[in-house]
Amino acid sequence: SGELYCSLPNPRNVHFESTNMKNVLHWSAPEGTGDGVLYKVKYAVYGVGKWIRKAECRNINRTWCDLSSETSDYEEQYYASVKAFLNGTCSDWMETTRFNPLTDTKIDPPMVSISSTDRSISITLTAPEKWKRSPEEESISLLQVYPGLQYNVSVLNKKTKKRWFFSISNNTLVVPWLEPGTAYCVSARIRVTTPLLDSGFSK
Amino acid sequence: GACRVSMSTEEIRAGFRAIKANIQSRDPIRSLSILSHPHSLHKVQSSDRCCITHQLFTFYVDKVFKHCRTEDSFVNRKISSIANSFLSVRRKLEQCREQNNCVCGEESTEKFKQILANYEGLNVTSAAMKSLGELDILLDWMEKSR
Repeated sequence: SGELYCSLPNPRNVHFESTNMKNVLHWSAPEGTGDGVLYKVKYAVYGVGKWIRKAECRNINRTWCDLSSETSDYEEQYYASVKAFLNGTCSDWMETTRFNPLTDTKIDPPMVSISSTDRSISITLTAPEKWKRSPEEESISLLQVYPGLQYNVSVLNKKTKKRWFFSISNNTLVVPWLEPGTAYCVSARIRVTTPLLDSGFSK
Repeated sequence: GACRVSMSTEEIRAGFRAIKANIQSRDPIRSLSILSHPHSLHKVQSSDRCCITHQLFTFYVDKVFKHCRTEDSFVNRKISSIANSFLSVRRKLEQCREQNNCVCGEESTEKFKQILANYEGLNVTSAAMKSLGELDILLDWMEKSR
């Protein structure tokens, strides 16, 4: 069928939101349109340029589409595009900027597990895993994706409010010479220096 | 011996991140990549990685940065700061070549020939702007294979 005459306002702010390389396309509805707007989504690998329709996001009324599977090769870069339809008319295709999963993703804080003796704390840190299609698929730690990944660890003496900071590359840290019977608060975050990526601090 | 060059890609990364959207928006061609066409730069795992790195830094210094002037002074300043970083790294790589630690094998020669062909397939300004917009591809490859 021929292309309709497209006079509908365009979807706005078409962009990827990515955490641990779970890459989800988001957009805002065209200005001034109420309910009933439907959308189509397509994506392209940069350097290949062939637009591919995302079947699961055809004629959807939500304003997001999970493209994690299609953008899982983080050695490639991608574009995605959205078109809106309403009452027989449509908008233009609205594109993202070029998306680089390696540099444009956010990283969750590490998992922190702690054991202690009366005078020391032993901290074990685990980096999050890269998004994967199914639980059966092999897990890839973000440590493998970012060889320069480091952990910043903060240890707070809740009584004296004194705080220590550590920056470590391996995933275990023992903090000795602590005061018996004292509560300590441990928090950690991930730091990748290049490309520059910082997670938030763990709870 | 191996060619060991100390360089901070963080500075180059920061400079590029500041202008990435601006530069890439000037490149409307989705179907061609200078560095990754037809095969991803990441597929190059050869032992003569030093040679490819040297060739690519020379390519950017001699063919790319000088053709990337824009009407935006902020962008121009970032481009020249990135260019200066490239110049100093290339000088170090040159020393490796002089000490014969930067051998060029068949794979790197072939890959670089392809990159030049991709570049010469476009007019100079488009080719230079596209190459600059692909700086993160080069940096990602360099850091991954460090």
